[in-house]
Amino acid sequence: MSQFSGVQVPKAESIAIQVTAPNQVKLSGTITQKDPAQDLAGFFKALHTAALADKLTEVRADVSGLTFVNSSAIRLFVDWATWVKNERGHRYTLRFVTSRNVTWQKTSFMALMSLAKDVLALEHVT
Amino acid sequence: MSSHDRNPSSPSSAPRLAVAAYSGAGTRPGDGAVLSGRALLRVICTAGSGALEYTHAFVTAYTADHLRGAVAQRLSVGAYELLSNALNFGSVSSDIVIELIESDNMVGVRVANDAIGARISMLTEHLLKLKTNAEQTFLEELRRSVTGGIPRPMLGLARVSHEVGLTLDLQVHERRVTVTAQCRR
Repeated sequence: MSQFSGVQVPKAESIAIQVTAPNQVKLSGTITQKDPAQDLAGFFKALHTAALADKLTEVRADVSGLTFVNSSAIRLFVDWATWVKNERGHRYTLRFVTSRNVTWQKTSFMALMSLAKDVLALEHVT
Repeated sequence: MSSHDRNPSSPSSAPRLAVAAYSGAGTRPGDGAVLSGRALLRVICTAGSGALEYTHAFVTAYTADHLRGAVAQRLSVGAYELLSNALNFGSVSSDIVIELIESDNMVGVRVANDAIGARISMLTEHLLKLKTNAEQTFLEELRRSVTGGIPRPMLGLARVSHEVGLTLDLQVHERRVTVTAQCRR
């Protein structure tokens, strides 16, 4: 059984989260709370751990519906990329699905790519 | 001045918000610097639970209604990060004023608050780095957000400058700090 799809989704204000087997997580809405790590850091870590346990070759994180996030939330995506990058054994590609129509996503994920390009992939949707 | 308190049904822990069409009254030295034009919106808030989320939601809704989509998105990021900075680093004993300003060609968000001298120096230095090379500073702050360090990462203003391409200006009058983030309409 897929551990990835069994990861408990947190109840977070203003954001909808959907985990789909075998390897997709979709986030939509906005992240504006001062410390989003309280809701999301553990969740992202659980997805990462499950992806390793399932020996996934790729995780698709669809953030195209995230219309606004604060800088604390961007740090969470940086953290996730760093966990993958620092894995010594099995690694997977973390593919962020982003929207061309959402201003903040264009630059942030390009910058993130430059920090961890060996483990990240970007896919753009309109 | 036709100000009014926020919805009285708000929780008692919510910050005090006063929203008014701009009349020019009640401004303090430093509140009206840099981008000159008409204030579309003026919000005065005090630090407290929910100050950031409530005010940002209000400003975002207003910009979405009154400005074209891409500009509204950029100003939404600017408003959030400037206000977040003011709440995190400003004096808790003074009001924070956030305004949405427009001129014929430009539109911007302006946040004014009181701060201590050390904070003002740090802010001045950070803005100088951003003016010199916004992209490099953004990447540095992104890296520092992973490794931590002192002073704490200042990714917010780097986002405003590099990610959404707003021009940042800083005005200081004694302890009153005014930061404006603006772009073409």
